[in-house]
Amino acid sequence: MRDFTTPTDRLILGAFVLSILLVGALIAVPVLHAVELSFYKAESFISARQWVGLANYTRVLADPAFWHAFALGLGFALIAMGLQLMLGIGFAQLLNLPLRGRAFVRGAVVLPYLLPTVVIAVTTHWLLDGAYGLFTVWAQQLGFGRPAWYDHPVSAALLIIIASVWTWTPFVTITFLAGLQSIPASLYEAARVDGAGAWKRFWHVTLPMLKPVLLVVVLLRSIWMFNKFDIVWLLTKGGPLGATEHLPILSYRKAFNQFDVGGGAAVATLSFLVLSVMIAIYFWYFPLDDKGAEK
Amino acid sequence: MSEDKKTGDLVPVGAEGIDTRRRRLTVAAGVVAAGTLASPWVHAQQKTIRFLNCEPSRDSVRAMKVAAAEYERVSGVRVVVDTVPPDQAYDKLQASISAGTPYDISGLIFVAHVVLLAEAGKLMPLTKMVNKHKWGPRILFPVKGEQYWYPYDYNFAWMYYRKDLYAAKGLKVPNTWDQFADNAKALTEGNNFGVTIPIGSNGAGQWLAPGFMWADGVKLLDDKWGLSLDTPPMKKKFSGYLDFMKKLSPSMPPGMSQALFATVIGQYSGGQTAMAPYAGRLMEVLEDRAPELAGKTGFFMYPDSVGKNVAVNHGYDGWVVVKTPMQEEAMKFMDWFTENQYINFLHTAPLHFQPPRMDVYEDRRWRAHPLIEKHGELVDFMRSILTRNDVIIRSVDTEGPAPDVRPGKMFESYGVMEAIQSRLIKDMPADEATELCIRKLKASIV
Repeated sequence: MRDFTTPTDRLILGAFVLSILLVGALIAVPVLHAVELSFYKAESFISARQWVGLANYTRVLADPAFWHAFALGLGFALIAMGLQLMLGIGFAQLLNLPLRGRAFVRGAVVLPYLLPTVVIAVTTHWLLDGAYGLFTVWAQQLGFGRPAWYDHPVSAALLIIIASVWTWTPFVTITFLAGLQSIPASLYEAARVDGAGAWKRFWHVTLPMLKPVLLVVVLLRSIWMFNKFDIVWLLTKGGPLGATEHLPILSYRKAFNQFDVGGGAAVATLSFLVLSVMIAIYFWYFPLDDKGAEK
Repeated sequence: MSEDKKTGDLVPVGAEGIDTRRRRLTVAAGVVAAGTLASPWVHAQQKTIRFLNCEPSRDSVRAMKVAAAEYERVSGVRVVVDTVPPDQAYDKLQASISAGTPYDISGLIFVAHVVLLAEAGKLMPLTKMVNKHKWGPRILFPVKGEQYWYPYDYNFAWMYYRKDLYAAKGLKVPNTWDQFADNAKALTEGNNFGVTIPIGSNGAGQWLAPGFMWADGVKLLDDKWGLSLDTPPMKKKFSGYLDFMKKLSPSMPPGMSQALFATVIGQYSGGQTAMAPYAGRLMEVLEDRAPELAGKTGFFMYPDSVGKNVAVNHGYDGWVVVKTPMQEEAMKFMDWFTENQYINFLHTAPLHFQPPRMDVYEDRRWRAHPLIEKHGELVDFMRSILTRNDVIIRSVDTEGPAPDVRPGKMFESYGVMEAIQSRLIKDMPADEATELCIRKLKASIV
């Protein structure tokens, strides 16, 4: 145990304690409060609560809507993340080539990531407007009639995935680009000398070297997509017919709309537990490189 | 040194004078302070009422702030006005109560929220204030004999139509569902559609779509809180309504499952649809953004299947006074506001804020608004909803024999809307969609 004698040490200690307090106040307390609420029956946040133990959990787990929402969230996360990874790695490779105007393209590619979600949602609504939307008009001109983009469960779910991929691929691209730039050129030279083609260099040099970045990106994007609320709410509000109602929307609707605060809290708590277990399993199978800690 | 005139003691020269000035100053300051503190104006200036306004239009916010400033001028009590969108008022009010800093007055748009707050003992009774006036039908929602809410408007949903397009096609105002569907079909050409009716699981859908089923006599709850929809005659009526909506769907623009209030207004005012359900707001928007359409727009109530009844979907807004340390001041403000500023506030949406207080219709100050004068026919139509015995006024959230949370739960289950979506999007048979609706509604009120 070291003594915190210098001003710098004390500053670091103070910042550490402050961050712990902030995390406690802004994250731990609300989470614990939500867990507490999940054991009560309450019609609102101001009504008298009635202790019901695990009844909210058994009720929620017996509800097909919960499992539908769970599967949907998993599907959103896996499909969107898979597409973002493929596109992100591809774009990163392109942007890593010595092209003219590379700096401009690298800056421009980040733009979707900088846009507020509400702007993306409103733009999407206009592009897909049933009569005057640009995509609707194009579809008409191509002889596909007037597609009801939002009215079909599958197309509504696809819209969310496409919007998410469009928004978040730049993040993946930039992260991988940073990873690519840290790979020593000598490794590629050595691979070339050994007669490795482009695909083999990618598979045996690039990907293994990007593994730490890949693991973090997969983890972050999975968590974010599984918990994504804003884009889903703004685009479809969980509809049509609950086709895009994943766990965060189900939890919100129960707690804030359907007079079921305990049920909403139970869904949120279960979602938290499921995600925690999935992260633990992920780290079990893919431990992050801890060489730095051993130094 | 000099001699004290009373005691004869020697005192330093000038000390008497200094002491006198100090004493005078002290006394004067004390008198001023005491007078100031005792004065009702300054005492009241220390008081602040917090008002949660849920009408976010520029004019409504301005009217509330002007009223607040005026009240501060006449009473010394400061009124702070915060504004949120209507559907966020209850959440914000709950949060303020939970945080220990409740708003003193709040707007609310949902009777279930009023009931929950009243039953939790959070609201001040407004019975005396409410009983000063005569009110229209189905607008007061008493809880255990007390009025906890002061309504400021009706927002009935009825149908608007393009008179010029009707005339061009030789159409007549429909009296039955079939006539309505035929008209909508006749008005659908290319990128122009017959009618916009939101069918999503949202407030817009549930406010604007069910009018036809109310007209046909559908009731969701009976007088004993049983699900009357789960009876053969109601099932038949509801299935018929679903089939009618299915028949209507080719005349509606795509994307109705996600349509919102703005979608309806935008599509009608943009000339994209020939018919659209809404309250007075649509006419206000036409006057503002598409005045050429205002004169070409007519209105009628939702017809039934056989031409016997008409209906409007119910809508309403009001204020509650919350039990807080400032509750007495809040009650005084409400009393003042509802007597002195009520009409000013209604004028901020002259056709949309339909007065629930019957005295307002006779008030020349209210009738003096240019839009109310100009749209006399519409205003008479709106008033007739309150006075005609043959007009059905219903909504999912006000079903049942008394104000209660259960209809609110049915509303939020969106059982009716999911039945419509199942029929229209999934092409589910009407009987099956009706059973789905019954299951949803039953589950919501258990």
